[in-house]
Amino acid sequence: MNRPAPLVELREVWKSYRKGSETINAVAGVDLDLAEHGMVAIVGPSGSGKSTLLHVIGGMDRPTRGSVRVAGRNLSDIPQGELTRFRREVVGFVFQTFNLIPNLTALENVALPMEFSGVARAARASRAKALLERVDLGQRSRHRPNELSGGEMQRVAIARALANEPRVVLADEPTGNLDSATGRLIYELLQSIARERTVVVVTHSEELARLADRVLHLRDGRLSNGAASAVSSGTAQVPSARQEQTRA
Amino acid sequence: MGMILLGLRNLFRNKLRLMVVVLLLATPFFLLLAMQSIADAVGRQTTTLMQDVNTVLQLRARGSMGHINMIAQDRILPDSVLDKVRGIEHVAHVEPYLLAMAPITPPNFVMHVGLAPGAVKRLESHGEAGNPRIIAGRDFRPEDAGQDVAIIGQGYAAWARIGPEDIGRATMTVDATRTHPVIFALDRPKRELRIVGMYASGYVFGDLQLFLPIDTFRSIYGTREGISWIFARVDSVDNVARVAQGLREVVGDVADILVPQNAAVFTATTSRAVIRLAWTGGLLAFVLMSLVVFFVLLMQVRERAREIGTLKAIGASNGAVSAQFLTEAVAVTLLGGVLGLAIFRLAGEAVTGRLFAFGIGPFLPAHYKPLFESLSVGSQISGPVLLLVVLVAVAAAALGSAYGVRQLVKLSPLEAMQHE
Repeated sequence: MNRPAPLVELREVWKSYRKGSETINAVAGVDLDLAEHGMVAIVGPSGSGKSTLLHVIGGMDRPTRGSVRVAGRNLSDIPQGELTRFRREVVGFVFQTFNLIPNLTALENVALPMEFSGVARAARASRAKALLERVDLGQRSRHRPNELSGGEMQRVAIARALANEPRVVLADEPTGNLDSATGRLIYELLQSIARERTVVVVTHSEELARLADRVLHLRDGRLSNGAASAVSSGTAQVPSARQEQTRA
Repeated sequence: MGMILLGLRNLFRNKLRLMVVVLLLATPFFLLLAMQSIADAVGRQTTTLMQDVNTVLQLRARGSMGHINMIAQDRILPDSVLDKVRGIEHVAHVEPYLLAMAPITPPNFVMHVGLAPGAVKRLESHGEAGNPRIIAGRDFRPEDAGQDVAIIGQGYAAWARIGPEDIGRATMTVDATRTHPVIFALDRPKRELRIVGMYASGYVFGDLQLFLPIDTFRSIYGTREGISWIFARVDSVDNVARVAQGLREVVGDVADILVPQNAAVFTATTSRAVIRLAWTGGLLAFVLMSLVVFFVLLMQVRERAREIGTLKAIGASNGAVSAQFLTEAVAVTLLGGVLGLAIFRLAGEAVTGRLFAFGIGPFLPAHYKPLFESLSVGSQISGPVLLLVVLVAVAAAALGSAYGVRQLVKLSPLEAMQHE
């Protein structure tokens, strides 16, 4: 039986930074396959390379070397314009600090990615409204970010991430600036989204990570042995992460 | 289009910030308009000075002061000189005068000056000052030609016991038979003149004159022909030397030509220096405005690196981000320009005068300052200048913004967000 091609496919991916004369390998030779649908949590201590890995998957940053394929696109060598289109159409980002545009209302923030995609005004408004209702903010659509609580802002950010119906939602510490109760609500929301698309969440909270279908442990830029710690639904693929030796 | 609208809306995202930025942009706008206004006023004033004061040449009979009854100084110019002077190129206006002395005690003598009713009332020792202020009664009218009327200086009037309240009714008798160590008698009948006006010149000797129509003068003193002095105004200070040369060639054998050489040169050079100074100030303000606009907009973009990174992260193209920020830059600059212009129109006259006093006044040669203390600086601005200022400001804003945006959009979204 043919297995479907993974949605996200990383091969021998490295991301290095220069800091003075020192080279820091934020991501060190990661191999990873992620299937369509399901929630994947990437956990690890601070500085382990979780966010960097997420950014590489989302086309926010290019790898130093290795191959990154997402939804059939090889992000390692596509032109800048294609990468912009990729971010617009294939992925949706949720940031720890929400990153909403301050002078736009919740509705306008959610509609913004659709404007970049050329969706007609009426369709944008209608879909943005539906997305806000999905995250229980239908009544707050006319409010600006400074009139919303942290949890509400993050829900707007999640709705914005879904605006162009991306196949992958990438969330970088989405509960990092929220209290634990609100954080749990956000996680549950992401869980529900994961039923229809792939959600990759970076978190340092093991407790929240346990809610994911699959947990990847990252340390010093590498996925650790037994990276696939839990599969709670049938949608997650068998992990293929393997540890690589750090190269000098 | 959507990003342009977003850019316009972004202007009002933070009203306090908008006010600060607009004020920051308005200040150099205002300074530039003020400097332009100063340069304009200086230019106008200098032009006036150069036309009215420093381009006047005086002609007298050779070796004579031209006073018709002064011992050894009574030779006057023949009438033909007048036509010859008028025929010189660049001579814009010619005025003939006749002068006689009259004894008084003290201070010895006064001057009677015959002139055309519309001519400049020149003072014997300060001819270039001209046209003293009428402080009582009236000035000459065209119909005064040939009439027995006169305008008296306040010093002469005081000696004759004529007060301002007497003007219009008072008379003065001109007696050409009276003598003085330097004045000889003329065998002429006395003549009574009605004093129709009194003037004040600001000079002691300047106030000791009596102006009367030149035909009346000729009739009183029996001077049928001849001219004591001719004042010739040249059309431009640049042509003074050329006209003087022409006069020497044409009437040099009979006339002394008094050229305000030093004054002309001084005015020409100093006026140009002042204009240059004012325009240099304007140019500096222009550069200052461009730099301020450029850097304000550059900083405004840079401090929003995170927003640019976010826009890129959610799929905005570089073009869309640039369009948004350029729209904002141009709009905020135009707002700054409007505010600068409004301040200039409301407070331009008052502030510009002070700016001139502090910014240019100290650099003026000391003897040139009094002329400019009365400088009238307006708050008017010409359309083309305003258009130029706005275009340059908008260009500086677009450059500053585009430079900042370009630096950020070429980064990855992550790098842009971390740029702060």
